[in-house]
Amino acid sequence: MAAAQAKQRAPSPTGISLSVVAYSLRLLAIGIVSVFSFWLAVQVGRDGNLFLAFALVLIAVGVGAINLIPGLWPLRWMSPGLALMALLAIYPLIYTVYIAFTNYSDGHLYTKERAVQLMSNAQYLPAESVSYSWELYGNDEGTFALWLTTEEGATFFAAPGQPLATVTLNQSGEAPYDKDGLPATFNGFRQLSGKERLQAMRDANLQTIQFGDPANPIGITSRSSAGNYQQKWVYDAEQDAVVDKETNVIYKADVSVGEFVAADGSHAPLGFWVQVGVENFTRIFTSVSIREPLLRVFGWTIAFAFFSVLTAFSLGLFMALMLDKFPGARFIKSLLIIPYAVPGMISILIWRGMLNPNGGVITSSLNGLLGWAPPWHTDPGWAKVAVLLVNLWLAFPYFMLICTGALQSISSAIYEAAEVDGANAWQRFWSLTLPLLLVAVGPLLIASFTYNFNNFLLIEALFGGGPPMVGTSAPPVGHTDNLISYTYRYAFSSGGSREYGFASAIAIVIFFMVGGLTLFQFRFTKRWEEVGDNV
Amino acid sequence: MSSMAQTRSQVAQSVRRSSRPDIIRRILFALRTLVILLVLAFTLFPVVWIISASFNPTGSMTSQTLIPQNVHSISDLLVNFDKLLNNPQVPFWRWISNSAVVAVTNTILSLAITALSAYAFSRFRFRGRRSLLVTILLIQVFPNLLAMVALYLMLLQIGPYVTILGVNFGLNSHGGLVLCYLGGAMGVNTWLTKGFFDTIPRDIDESAEVDGATHWQTFWYLVFPLVRPILAVVALLSFVGTFNEFVLARILLTDRDNWTLMVGLYNFVSAKFTDDWGVFAAGSLIAATPVVMLYMVLQKYIVGGLTQGAVKG
Repeated sequence: MAAAQAKQRAPSPTGISLSVVAYSLRLLAIGIVSVFSFWLAVQVGRDGNLFLAFALVLIAVGVGAINLIPGLWPLRWMSPGLALMALLAIYPLIYTVYIAFTNYSDGHLYTKERAVQLMSNAQYLPAESVSYSWELYGNDEGTFALWLTTEEGATFFAAPGQPLATVTLNQSGEAPYDKDGLPATFNGFRQLSGKERLQAMRDANLQTIQFGDPANPIGITSRSSAGNYQQKWVYDAEQDAVVDKETNVIYKADVSVGEFVAADGSHAPLGFWVQVGVENFTRIFTSVSIREPLLRVFGWTIAFAFFSVLTAFSLGLFMALMLDKFPGARFIKSLLIIPYAVPGMISILIWRGMLNPNGGVITSSLNGLLGWAPPWHTDPGWAKVAVLLVNLWLAFPYFMLICTGALQSISSAIYEAAEVDGANAWQRFWSLTLPLLLVAVGPLLIASFTYNFNNFLLIEALFGGGPPMVGTSAPPVGHTDNLISYTYRYAFSSGGSREYGFASAIAIVIFFMVGGLTLFQFRFTKRWEEVGDNV
Repeated sequence: MSSMAQTRSQVAQSVRRSSRPDIIRRILFALRTLVILLVLAFTLFPVVWIISASFNPTGSMTSQTLIPQNVHSISDLLVNFDKLLNNPQVPFWRWISNSAVVAVTNTILSLAITALSAYAFSRFRFRGRRSLLVTILLIQVFPNLLAMVALYLMLLQIGPYVTILGVNFGLNSHGGLVLCYLGGAMGVNTWLTKGFFDTIPRDIDESAEVDGATHWQTFWYLVFPLVRPILAVVALLSFVGTFNEFVLARILLTDRDNWTLMVGLYNFVSAKFTDDWGVFAAGSLIAATPVVMLYMVLQKYIVGGLTQGAVKG
């Protein structure tokens, strides 16, 4: 594979030509990748995403270096993996940190230049500049066109998306021309009757259609007149402001919040993207309306992770013990691991259906039997019980499998020795089985804790985080929300605005928590030593 | 805990010591059977219930009975399946094929990345090898879910420019989704696979290299056939994991026709759950059956393959 390596070996006739071919192919591949990456970097850079452009260039240079510098040949084997990891795992982490210090959100998605540019596309129809009278034409596909006449008597034909065509009237009064000299048909369009025209004005939203050249379109302003659209927002570099030409209000750029602000405090439709320092973090820790729910979410996240591991491990261990040397244990176990094999999403939705307050089987059966069913959907406590119950169902088979394996590895000689020493059953379990088992499955318990700390699927799919906490809105925070679903709600909820900057700040807080847990896990499992020994 | 411990030890004792009275042994066995039956009922009830719902012709949640009522013909049993597969609002086959395309593509590519990286880490000694391995381990700790905002924005930013051979890699594309999955491929399985590569003696490689084989030839003709068992495990985990993945797919895929099966089922359910319960059940059954089968069948094969591979090594 590596030309440099091949040279060191006894050259065989085919070997040399093969390595030359391989070398050329590699150069070609690197060339293509580099050219594409640089091109892409230029494109995203022009959109103002310099961070991404820089990352792309860096990765392309790295891949090139790995594949061209002979000393780095072992890395060639992993260069696709490394490049993907750099672009899609490392860059997003760094970028998350970067976004967390900005106001990136709906309405602040672009740089100032780009926001101005986007706003300049907006147009309005000035009432006073009306200069055409119009007649309506239409074709069989339902497209409309206008025959326009200026006050001076010049005539044009305007079809949507096509440049204005200068046309002339035919005043002869003979068919196919009407008394005003307009043709009955023109360019595949037919002149519409007064009745059709009324109908079109009512049904087809004629006012919203832009006729003629898209760069300088014409719209209908009233029953009889049409006019040129004009650019609504114009940037004034001198004042660093955008001016609304329709109302002549001036919106000055305020770089501290990333908005164009008018004198009366109102904002232009698009803000822009600015650095806001630690504001997002300050908001997390100081705003009461955010901090209070966040603290509760944090508490529940820990509690959920802890109790889900505790319950699932306990039932798993219990079943492993129960099924030990039980007739048909193999078959029973194969039935018990079904929850583990069913896609989690589907299992959770099945449970969501069974817990449904309107006719879900569990709710209605309990209602029928006891006359009462737990209010899973409205009571925070019961909602949490339901989440844990469903998680128990999902997770205990895994622990049963693990515990079965671990129990078999505990030597029976230890038990015999303990029995000789007069330890009773309880003592034997408590001081022998459990400690030995915990040593074996401890790392898996911590891994499971970390997994459940970030368990988005269960929380989101079962109750959508509900029932909602009182006093939180846009986005509503729920009693069963955990940190990651809370973050999701700020970034992607359909209800509130999408606050990417703030969500990233929360994500970073979670990073540190997960990082701390992991450090603890490494300590606990002596993984570092293992890493040291094994690599 | 305590009762469980006692039960276990008592049962164990009862097996060991025949001196214990017969009647107590029987009561304990009956209790144990009862507990196992209860847990079995807890485990299997949702499964049985959803199977029943899928064949229940009334299709609504409130009117469902465990044994379907008013069934006069086979077609009555298949009402829900018919509704599911012939509803233009629910492009079910489309979702399945989307999921299959995404899962298969991701499995093949991540397998290639994993195998090549693990081989290099296992066989070559180079500067920075150790820190690179530790870095991979550390990055894998942070779920890419946490960087969901950054991933979303990146695909949004590159989307307009990256269409290669007709495949788009931006937002709302399967290419972009697979790309995001592949970003984690290196972290997830390299360690597992490298450990397995390490169990294969190096003598094999060295003798081959003395004979003039290139690294590539050694890898492809000698080592690769020996590591197929672990690659089967990685492939299965990767396939099932991708097939079941929901969060990134939900964030990144916005068009109904592009949804994967899990996103489709979820959004479908959100709309009209109680009325379309039977249709949802039918969809779940179709979606879950192959995965459960795959798991049941391949788990044995893979466990066997693992031990066999270890023996060979």
